[in-house]
Amino acid sequence: MSKITSLLRSKNKNWLIHTALILIVLVSMFPIILTVITSFKLQEDIERNPPELLPCDTATQSFYLSACRWTTTGYEHVLNPVTDTHTLFNFKLTGTLITVYLGNTILYSTFTSLLVVLLAITSGYAFSRYRFRGHRALMTSILVITGVPLLTNLLALYQMGITIRKSGLPYDDRIFIVIVYVGLFLPLSVWIAKGFFDAIPRDLEDAALIDGCSRIGALFRIIMPLTVPGMIAIFLLTFVNVWNEFLAGYLLINKNQYKPVMFGLYNFLGENLINLQVIGAACILISLPIVLLFLYFRRSFFIAMVEGSVKG
Amino acid sequence: MQQSLTQKNQARKRRDTLPFWLILPTIIVLLVVQVYPFLYTAWLSLQQRQRTGWVYIGLQNFKNMFNTTLFSDSIGLTIVFLVGHVVLTMVIGFITAFLLSRKIRFTGLYLTLLFIPWVLSQIIAGEIFRLMVLPDYGILAGILQNPALFPPSGLSVLTAAPPTPWFGSFPFPPSPAMTLLILSSTWRALPFVTLLILASIQLIPQEIIESGRIDGANTLQVIRYIMVPIILPTLVVAIFSLTLNAMNGVGLIFSLTGGGPGTQTTILPWLLYAIGWQQLNFGGAAALALVIGVVNLVLIIGTLRVTRVEEASA
Repeated sequence: MSKITSLLRSKNKNWLIHTALILIVLVSMFPIILTVITSFKLQEDIERNPPELLPCDTATQSFYLSACRWTTTGYEHVLNPVTDTHTLFNFKLTGTLITVYLGNTILYSTFTSLLVVLLAITSGYAFSRYRFRGHRALMTSILVITGVPLLTNLLALYQMGITIRKSGLPYDDRIFIVIVYVGLFLPLSVWIAKGFFDAIPRDLEDAALIDGCSRIGALFRIIMPLTVPGMIAIFLLTFVNVWNEFLAGYLLINKNQYKPVMFGLYNFLGENLINLQVIGAACILISLPIVLLFLYFRRSFFIAMVEGSVKG
Repeated sequence: MQQSLTQKNQARKRRDTLPFWLILPTIIVLLVVQVYPFLYTAWLSLQQRQRTGWVYIGLQNFKNMFNTTLFSDSIGLTIVFLVGHVVLTMVIGFITAFLLSRKIRFTGLYLTLLFIPWVLSQIIAGEIFRLMVLPDYGILAGILQNPALFPPSGLSVLTAAPPTPWFGSFPFPPSPAMTLLILSSTWRALPFVTLLILASIQLIPQEIIESGRIDGANTLQVIRYIMVPIILPTLVVAIFSLTLNAMNGVGLIFSLTGGGPGTQTTILPWLLYAIGWQQLNFGGAAALALVIGVVNLVLIIGTLRVTRVEEASA
């Protein structure tokens, strides 16, 4: 009998916990939901005074569902689709945000993430499997390096870019920025990678070595397949970080046509001060790819973040 | 026999240098992108740009910095921002993590939804919050600018003057713009802290909590006397990491307030940006950067200490 009452009570409590959590989630989603609503509004609804949450009122009613005035002009303004019979869907997108900046960001994110994964794996493996002189000091300094403020790095990197350009050495904004991004996001990834290697039992490798496999062979044939989830996690974390990075891309890249999408957005904001639906649409369009990426790979993100923060 | 031994020795030597070759590329990249810039900044902080080039001026940049009221004001603002941001994030983060650690359904769904703000760029997060309070047009402007709710003439977050400080010139209570900055940065940092705390709560052995319950502890007592002491290292790491991120990010301020109105949200990192990239005073910016760098260093060494203690005691 008492068991039943305690069960009932815990059911009751669960209901309370669910309510509290739903409330927290709603509050946390509120700004995003508002932005989505704004992005589908008409200009005249945005300029209403006082502002209306939903553009669904009529002369007599404050809310009437079929009277809602939704529009996609904000998105059209950002994407600027033009009819073109030569393409697959008979139109192409001509907004500069898409044609210029988005491509740059995809390029930088992909290349940076690949390089970071490669370097994090090799050095993470060495740190995990070997004990050499200065091992601990090196690991610690890699972490301490992250304490140098990004803005500090930028002062020097900006000068470095100018010096290289002036000296007539081969210089390309895109290569330069990718190297900078790799340096910025590598330290934490090294620690994460080391953690992943630490979790793989040494015996597996020793068995391979005894069976006549070389160290490198063991790394690639035995260990690597086991670290695939870790590599994916590092890749995704770096990808999102580069995608969202604004300041380095804004300050270090010399030519406008090579600047990343966050710069494009910032520029766009200046051009559309009161067209809130356009601003909202731009924010949503730029965030959408990485939000979807996160939703699909959320487990990888969680693993990498817990690993990186607890160890670091 | 002899030959095969030398071969073996050579093979061992090569094997011993393998970790060096594996780490080398990483070291080179970090030297170029992180270490050299730091040394360059240290050098730069002693220089001044003149028509002929950089001129050594000793500690003048530091003296100039400590003598400006902008710097001392900024320290006060930074303290208000950091304390508000860290306390708010830790409290809400702990509550959320505690709720998520209960054995109920849909926790994965809740956590995923909660995490979306973290995936957004700082620039976009700032813009989302600015859209809400934009004078006249923002959706919350109707409420905030209502004189009946916020006398005497309604509140426009992005332009309002700061309230009269309670303690001399220390900027407390925070201005509306500062409050908005704290709220938005908390909003974006919350998922990370929640996940961190949740992960460490889930590592607490269930028996310990059970035994506490059997001894008659209520939920609050279990939290206070069992959970918090066990996850204390994680809480400290979370606090340090929040402070570190907040000390170095300017993306939010960029799109939210731009350091304004006036200098109400000019916290140290934004001041560094303003001196360096708006006034183009690289020497002065380098001096400030070193000051921020020292704070960061203390935070990171503190984190290392805590995690090491945790490893040693585990």
